[in-house]
Amino acid sequence: MKVGIYFCSCGTSISERISSARLMESLHGHTEAVYLEAIDFMCSEEGKAALESNLRDNAPDRVVIAACSPRDHEPTFRRVLASAGVNPYLMQMVNIREQVAWVTPDPARATEKAARLIRGAVARIRLHQPLDRQELDVCPEVLVVGAGPAGLKAAFTLAEAGRRVTVVEKSPVLGGLPVRFEEIAPTMECGSCMLEPLLGEILHGEHSGRIEIRTLAEVVDVVGFHGRFTARIRQSPRYVSSELCVGCGECIPVCPVSATNEFNCGLNERKAIDVPFPGALPNVPSLDAHTCIRFRGEDCQACKAACPVGESVIDHAQAAQMIEREVGAIVVAIGASLYDCRKLPDLGYGRIGGVLTALDFERILASNGPTAGLLQLAGHESPDAVAIIHCVGSLDVRRNDYCSAVCCQYAFKFNHMIETKLPGTKVLHLYKEIAVPGKHESSILHRARANPNAAFVRYGDIQDIRVSDSAGNPNVAYRDTTGSLGSFDADIVVLCPAVVPSDSAANLAATMDTNCDRFGFFEELHDRLDAGRSTVRGIYLAGACQSPMDIQHAMSQGAAAAGYILSGLVEGKKLYVEPITASIDAERCSGCRVCGKVCPYKAISFDADKEVSVVNAVLCQGCGTCVAACPAGVIEGQFFTDRAICAELAGVLE
Amino acid sequence: MMPEIAIPPSGEGFEPKIIGFLCNWCAYAGADKAGTFQTPYPPNVYVIRVMCTGRIDPQFVMRAYELGADGVIILGCHPGDCHYKEGNYRALQRHRLLVRLLKQFGIAEDRCRFEFVSASEGTRFVSVITSMVETVRALGPLRNNQ
Repeated sequence: MKVGIYFCSCGTSISERISSARLMESLHGHTEAVYLEAIDFMCSEEGKAALESNLRDNAPDRVVIAACSPRDHEPTFRRVLASAGVNPYLMQMVNIREQVAWVTPDPARATEKAARLIRGAVARIRLHQPLDRQELDVCPEVLVVGAGPAGLKAAFTLAEAGRRVTVVEKSPVLGGLPVRFEEIAPTMECGSCMLEPLLGEILHGEHSGRIEIRTLAEVVDVVGFHGRFTARIRQSPRYVSSELCVGCGECIPVCPVSATNEFNCGLNERKAIDVPFPGALPNVPSLDAHTCIRFRGEDCQACKAACPVGESVIDHAQAAQMIEREVGAIVVAIGASLYDCRKLPDLGYGRIGGVLTALDFERILASNGPTAGLLQLAGHESPDAVAIIHCVGSLDVRRNDYCSAVCCQYAFKFNHMIETKLPGTKVLHLYKEIAVPGKHESSILHRARANPNAAFVRYGDIQDIRVSDSAGNPNVAYRDTTGSLGSFDADIVVLCPAVVPSDSAANLAATMDTNCDRFGFFEELHDRLDAGRSTVRGIYLAGACQSPMDIQHAMSQGAAAAGYILSGLVEGKKLYVEPITASIDAERCSGCRVCGKVCPYKAISFDADKEVSVVNAVLCQGCGTCVAACPAGVIEGQFFTDRAICAELAGVLE
Repeated sequence: MMPEIAIPPSGEGFEPKIIGFLCNWCAYAGADKAGTFQTPYPPNVYVIRVMCTGRIDPQFVMRAYELGADGVIILGCHPGDCHYKEGNYRALQRHRLLVRLLKQFGIAEDRCRFEFVSASEGTRFVSVITSMVETVRALGPLRNNQ
């Protein structure tokens, strides 16, 4: 077997301390059928050309390149080998620059160290087998989970680029939280007006044909890998045909039963067949089987009889169905939830009238909400005083130690809206910290500060605030950070709860084998460099499922997820899978499953029929942890085989 | 505990041979960083690159001693920084067990070290390597090859 050693002098960087001539002398007698060629600046265009032509002329069976760090130029030289017709994995680099020449002043000792390392490389490379990158056809379709701002932006951006997208949304309505807001901070744009153009494009626009919308649907299983996932989706019945319904709403008033409207935070009632709120899209009512008396055995046909379109629009016999979609990538955009303020009973939520969460208050302010935008609670006068308690459950080491990022913005938005709707209303902001970074966002703080009826009090701990019932209205007693005590009689108390992971985050993460971080949000591949990617290839994160974030950031992340997909999942392209992976010798595997337990990527599954573990080479990232863990020694780490590593040890220590 | 089976330090002229198993992503990059700084350190450590310290089979360490290494040092990512999520924890667990085994063979614990070195810690890499070489030099050759 002929081994070619290529020595790069790297100008004088290497040759100043290591001479190729002396290297060759030290290699003589240790290795047979070895030749050494010196090529200056091997990574330059001339150097690569010289290497390629030399490889063609000498036709070595194995190649050792003694040059810089493989972290610099291993891919470069692998490409040269490939173009010279040599399998790129039959090459081992020896780092004689960063790890020898630059750190070993004595040329004799530097040369000796380099010679040992080269002997190790020669010894191991003889044992290497050619490896080939695996080629796969990609599936260019995309699954988007969640139809809030982030998911919709991702779906639309992908559809604009010609991709087919399936959007799966758990609720019957599109748009996430912002469509429920009357105004959006900081510019006070109407929430549904802001999103309606995007929603309109998605439902009826030029690219809508490529977007499949599935409301009342949930992802229940995901198998596969980047480029080829199969998602199973449970489609719950709407009982109203989205294709046939014209959205006239005739079925709603005739319905004889009502239930609490969860879309208005339980502040009013809705019918068993209803739309969540006026203007909700898609404009198709949905029927709630838990409320409808027909599902309790009564022979009610009121809605069906009222439908002017026809008998087939409302179908009480519709059943849940399982559907499957083949996709190449998945965008997780399920949003977040809010901290349950009942966990802080001293704040009175759910106990004292007039104590609301920020989301309840958004609905009170909304013209399509339970009070039609009238800032007045049922059975109460218009308020004279509103207390807004920031940081409820946030910046709190016992609850959520992070800042929830959006609360100050909307709290100051509330301040502005209260002053606009009911000028002269007293507003008290109780806060731990104020955080409104951004070029537009600060204006809302300045406006709140300029409100002559607003007061700002900083508190240290949520336990320093106590809300009590004072003749039917809430009274807020507090201690500020200086220790002074205060009391505020309010008509309404608005709690700004921490943004916390969605209730379904952990389940969905487990379904997709992605990770959640210590807070329970979806873990990003890298929190600065790759916040839009999950820890699994081909699964991307957008919006508040990854971290508390405002609409602007959620939209940007949605577009970013689409960008990742458009660059990484190009139609017609092949997926190349690096061959440096683990492989299990099925003949010798005892089926103990130790490997599956240590694999950080769930790349190892168990074949129950054959009772052996199997590595999915596409999911395998080549760390080799299973190779070292296998008690039977039957897993081979390609390129880093036991034999190769032991040969390298022997060569180095010779 | 059994005393180490090693000849006493011969003093002058003993140059220990040490194998360094370095993960590609943190420790190897840290070693490259020391090179970029051009900070000299003793040339006694021969680096075997692996993608992850999780790949290091304790038998590699045993084989290194068998083939004449006087010491072995394993360098991986800091806790929480592993490129493969948790390979460094596996390596750390294996090292703990291995050291107990080595003691039974009469090989001093100091001849097998595990340290965390990040990609930016070129200076730390140099100090870890220097201290390892000095430690093993003081312990002397693992066996008398003469």
